[in-house]
This record gives sequence, C-alpha cells and structure tokens, in this order.
Amino acid sequence: MKMVNAFNMKRAAAGLRRINLDGLRWRVFDAKGQVLGRLASQIATVVQGKDKPTYTPNRDDGDMCIVLNAKDVCVTGRKLTDKVYYWHTGYVGHLKERTFKDQMAKDPTEVIRKAILRMLPRNKLRDDRDRKLRIFPGSEHPFGDRPLEPYVMPPRRVREMRPRERRAMIREQKKAELQQQKTDGTKKGKKREAPEESA
Amino acid sequence: MTRIKRGYIAGKRRRKIRLFTSSFRGAHSRLTRTITQQKIKALVSANRDRDRKKRGFRSLWIHRINAIIGKNKKKQYNRYSNLLYNIYKGQLLLNRKIVAQMGILKGNCLRMIANEIIT
Repeated sequence: MKMVNAFNMKRAAAGLRRINLDGLRWRVFDAKGQVLGRLASQIATVVQGKDKPTYTPNRDDGDMCIVLNAKDVCVTGRKLTDKVYYWHTGYVGHLKERTFKDQMAKDPTEVIRKAILRMLPRNKLRDDRDRKLRIFPGSEHPFGDRPLEPYVMPPRRVREMRPRERRAMIREQKKAELQQQKTDGTKKGKKREAPEESA
Repeated sequence: MTRIKRGYIAGKRRRKIRLFTSSFRGAHSRLTRTITQQKIKALVSANRDRDRKKRGFRSLWIHRINAIIGKNKKKQYNRYSNLLYNIYKGQLLLNRKIVAQMGILKGNCLRMIANEIIT
C-alpha cells in the first residue's frame, strides 16, 4: 500500500491544471469514524457547489474537496462483509463482484469515491466534479501549502436501538460483568467473548 | 388546358421559412424539407419552454436560498420552509427571486430581515 500511496501523491497534485477557477475553497473532510453514506452525501453537496448562494446548475462551481483517513471510514450493520460492489466487464457472463472488505484492503479511496460519484447527478459535469475530489487513505496530503478549511459535519441524529438489539446488547454487557466477577476460581466452558460492535 | 407551372409560389413560402432557420447548424439550414421540420420544432420548443423557464428560475432561486440558509443561519433555522413561512406570516411581499438576489449581493440585509422575522 505504501507504493500506492506514493503514486497517489504525485497524481493528486498533477491533475490540478485542468481545473480552471481558483476562486474555489479547499475543504478538508476527515473520514475517521464517519459513516460512509452520510459523509458522502455531505461531500456531494459541497462538490456540486450547492452550499453557495451563487449556485448555477450549468456551471461547475464546487469547492475542492480533500478527504483524509479514507481507510478509517465506518459502515453500520453487516455491510463490512455483506456489501458487494458489482460491475460488468462487457463480456457475456462476466459480472464481477467484490466485497466491501476486499475493496478496503485493495484501495480504500475507491470506496468513498464510488459512493460520492454515485450521488452526483449523471450529467456532463460529473467528470469535472470527479476531478475536484482528492481522497487520501491516510492523513498526509501534498496540499499543505494551500489555504485549507476543515469541514464541520452537521450533528448526526443516531436513532435509538431497536428493542431486540438493545436486549442483545444488555445481555452481552451482563455476561461481560459476570465474567469479570468470576476471574478467580473455576471458569465453566461458557467462554463466549462479547462480540465487538462494528465501530 | 395549357400547361401551367407552379412558378415561384412555393419558393416564396419556403424563403420565409429559410430566413427563420438561417442560423441553424448544418443541414438544418440548407435542406428544404429539414428546414420546415426544424422550424416547427424550434417554435414548439420556444412555446413550451417559455413556461418551463418560469419553473426553472423558481427552482434555481429556491436552491440558492437553501444554500444561504444552510450555511449561515444555523442557529436560527436550517430550513427554507421556515424562512418562507415566516415571510408569509410577517406579511412581507418578498418573492423568492428577490430573496435569492439579496442573499448573493447583500447578505447582511437578508440576515437582518431574517432576524426580525423569526421573533
């Protein structure tokens, strides 16, 4: 992955010539601990320029978006193993697939990039908007000398847990407490580790 | 009956249409049959889009107002619907176009108005 990182850096700085205006701001998004889709929708609004009062639909006026810590982006539910990316190569019968986990292992920036691109309107400006996105798996980026502005995500309303999930969580907590109490003496064969919640 | 040629009657008619279509691209300004078709299409589009234009601009103003609201006035309200509701309640005759233009050019004015409206 370090090889890929070095390559990314050079490529990231290179494509800047094609973007005309530099009255644009440089917004920095930190993906650490953010839920994938919610982050992507915020980025999509910024990249389209929809948070500016001078929004014009036929002109691409979005800000440059830099996304850091792409490998730390989170996903709820069972999506880590169950979310599958499909694509068809064009040849008959060649529908390929790859799970979220494998994609993260291969190239974590692609996950966020796909999420954002699929949220942008499919028109002629989509490619230009793609060029304005720079995604980095870690927290280093070659744009340190630019005037960067961190983006504060709006507060998230987490819905309260469904009753079954809550009961399961309470059961696990109680088991964890009981195990801690029983540290001395006999341990029966009921060693079930409390399953880790996907972060 | 003697033979009568049609003369230039059809040509007169087509010349008018050709004048209309004179700035179109390629065959659409050169070939007679396509010229008549393209003129009809152009007029149809113009007619239809005169109404669409009104819709389009209204939607553009609403987008812009939303952008301004979301960015600045987080303390007060996040919503376009709230702002407009308050405008109606306060019996201001501002329409969306003016509000959107105010937001671009004179942001402070809009903020002052919004402040007064909420309370």
